[in-house]
Amino acid sequence: MKTNLARDWGPRCVVFAAIVGLWEFFLSHSGNFLLPRFSEIVSGAYRLVFFEPRFWQALFISNQALLIGYAMSVAVGIPLGLIAGRLRWMDRILNPYVGVLLALPVAPLIPIVIIALGLGLAARVFIVVLFAVVFITVNTRAGVRGVEASLIEMAYSFGASEAQIWRRIVIPGAMPAIFAGMRIGLGRAITGMVMVELLLVATGLGRLLLEFSGRMQSDLVFATILVVIIEALSLLAAMQTIERRVARWAPDISVG
Amino acid sequence: MTPETVTEARSIARRGIAWPRGLRRFARNGALEILALAGGALVWEALGWGLRLQWLPPFSKVMEALLQFLHSGVILANLGSSLQALLLGFSLSLVLGLIVGALMGRYRYVEKALDVYVHALFVCPSIVFAPIFFAVFGLSDASRIAIIVVYAMFVMVINTSTAIRTVDPSLVEMARSFGCRERQIFFRILLPASLPLVFAGIRLGMGRAVKGMINGEMLIAFVGLGALAQRYGAQFDAAKVFAIAMAVLIIGLLCNALVQILDNRLTRWAD
Amino acid sequence: MIKVRALSKAFGGYDHGSAEVLALSDIDLEVRDNEFVTVIGPSGCGKTTLLRIIAGLIPYDQGEVSIDGRAVIGPGPERAVVFQNFALMPWADVLSNVAFGLEIRGASTDQCQAKAKELIKLVGLQGFERRLPKELSGGMQQRVGLARALAVNPQILLMDEPFGALDEQTRRLLQEQLLRLWERERKTVVFITHSMDEAVMLGDRVMLMTPRPGRVKEMINVPLGRPRSREVEKSSAFLEIKEYLWDNLRAMQAVDA
Repeated sequence: MKTNLARDWGPRCVVFAAIVGLWEFFLSHSGNFLLPRFSEIVSGAYRLVFFEPRFWQALFISNQALLIGYAMSVAVGIPLGLIAGRLRWMDRILNPYVGVLLALPVAPLIPIVIIALGLGLAARVFIVVLFAVVFITVNTRAGVRGVEASLIEMAYSFGASEAQIWRRIVIPGAMPAIFAGMRIGLGRAITGMVMVELLLVATGLGRLLLEFSGRMQSDLVFATILVVIIEALSLLAAMQTIERRVARWAPDISVG
Repeated sequence: MTPETVTEARSIARRGIAWPRGLRRFARNGALEILALAGGALVWEALGWGLRLQWLPPFSKVMEALLQFLHSGVILANLGSSLQALLLGFSLSLVLGLIVGALMGRYRYVEKALDVYVHALFVCPSIVFAPIFFAVFGLSDASRIAIIVVYAMFVMVINTSTAIRTVDPSLVEMARSFGCRERQIFFRILLPASLPLVFAGIRLGMGRAVKGMINGEMLIAFVGLGALAQRYGAQFDAAKVFAIAMAVLIIGLLCNALVQILDNRLTRWAD
Repeated sequence: MIKVRALSKAFGGYDHGSAEVLALSDIDLEVRDNEFVTVIGPSGCGKTTLLRIIAGLIPYDQGEVSIDGRAVIGPGPERAVVFQNFALMPWADVLSNVAFGLEIRGASTDQCQAKAKELIKLVGLQGFERRLPKELSGGMQQRVGLARALAVNPQILLMDEPFGALDEQTRRLLQEQLLRLWERERKTVVFITHSMDEAVMLGDRVMLMTPRPGRVKEMINVPLGRPRSREVEKSSAFLEIKEYLWDNLRAMQAVDA
């Protein structure tokens, strides 16, 4: 067991050291005095997390939009996906819109959302929803469509009602894809939140970043970004663990 | 012919409505989809005139703005700048993505070393790196191109490495049995066999590159379509902003179609 | 007793825009209680369609289909189907899969579990209750499908090429197991197959069908005694019927080729 650990993590640590080394090398040769050393970034992060209550305040405010937006995306996206999966005519009507929304970049629409909803929580939540909802819908639909027709026929042959077919065949069968959609949607929601923070800059992390860069505290700028990256990776890893447990029996048909 | 609902099946002896044949064919070949889109455009138009909201111009106004873009010089210059960054960024991420992916697919040592980082960077919302690039490269093309690379590269790395790793081992065995050397195996077996999945990655990477282009330009907004969107947003000109979003959408669809055509020609033998 | 009179079924036409294909034309069939009827014919003769009509899974156009005098308008508790590709829920274990039909029909959980366990034992899968379908071989999966069908205690068993997806050795073992089970409780069985060996080995009567459109060519009696053992495969009666079937089937293929 131990040798495996070393064999796996040995090369990874080498790469890590190489990355840090490259960073330091780049720093010393670029002449850009604003760029912090790696150690400064880490210590900056430490300071922010443990000694700066304003940081946690900002984090909380920013994550409000993420949480509410994501919850709404799931609440809207999954039922839409279920309907699109099961009712063929509904699916055909929604299809072109879904196709457009998948390819449509949400970022340029952000100014329009601002015009419509202002700079408050509503706008931030709406933007997060715009980023995430389509992917949840699409994956839920794929999950429902992916349920083998022969299973539905089998249940029907035993006298199952429409409700029973939903409860015992369609939903359990679609679960892995639904959770894949929720995982992908979470990534998209986080992207939305970050875009919002960097573009709207009203409150939360965006404002903090503006403050830090205004005061030339580049180590704190990088440190904040580092914390956001760690938060994103943690949330997504958690989601993936849940997804893996749900989908132990299934192949991968995810979109996005 | 599985009945979709119990009620559908209950009408056992029921005969379907005899639609005329032409109508049936029309309905089958995607007419419903076209109608749905047209219907949406009509609703948009109606709401635009009816509600008179600042942020919801009528559909026709958006189309007007879009057409204006094609004639106006300023817009074309910005479009050109965006496309240039897209081309450079995508090419760079393509080269990097395929090389790193190929190395990871071929050599287990490389895969073990890099997989954690590649996976983390793939999963992480790429936009978080924008401020980093901004700090390093400032308000320049390099920032925009770097963002595009981060957006597009990792999906191609993962697809390429998976593609090469999952080539049917019996093909490799077969080549060895005829005396092929490692180099020949790579170019004559591994590369062609992995093309379908690699192309899937390239298609996805293309989509990601377009998103990276526009997201990056919204943030590092000094030139390009993103900058325009910001400017028009500040002017409360919603029609033009919608038009830009549509323009980017069309660019994305065209690029996707291009990759698709290439894919079809090069991988005709696959499913 | 299953009674089919002047049954016709066409696909296409009204809602699908393409030319109508007559799958079944003027089918007459009577299956007596406790009889084992095998159905054989070339691809495209509509045998699967016929089975699914009797099962109540698809509608028919003309004629009548009735079970004990009652017209077939959908699935019913007296019939159970065994599917060619097993149709097991991949996320549920063997016990849940076998209990499925009972649960749908509203039996209590305890009853379902008990009955399911009984049947799992009957098909020789005890010890595998908690396994997932993907952990089982094809033969074992079909045994789960069989157990599930038997669990709801149907009068009629409708089997759609149940052993078609299995290798020959597994197929032969399952044929023997099916015969043993059938001897215990002689349900009415309609069994679709491509294999002449299987058709004669298992059936009291063999229904020979012709394709395009599907019609009944002949009902052939199988005068071999019950219970049947592998020995009958060597008997002259068996070989004669098998030859006869093959001559007919070959002639049908020749028309196409």
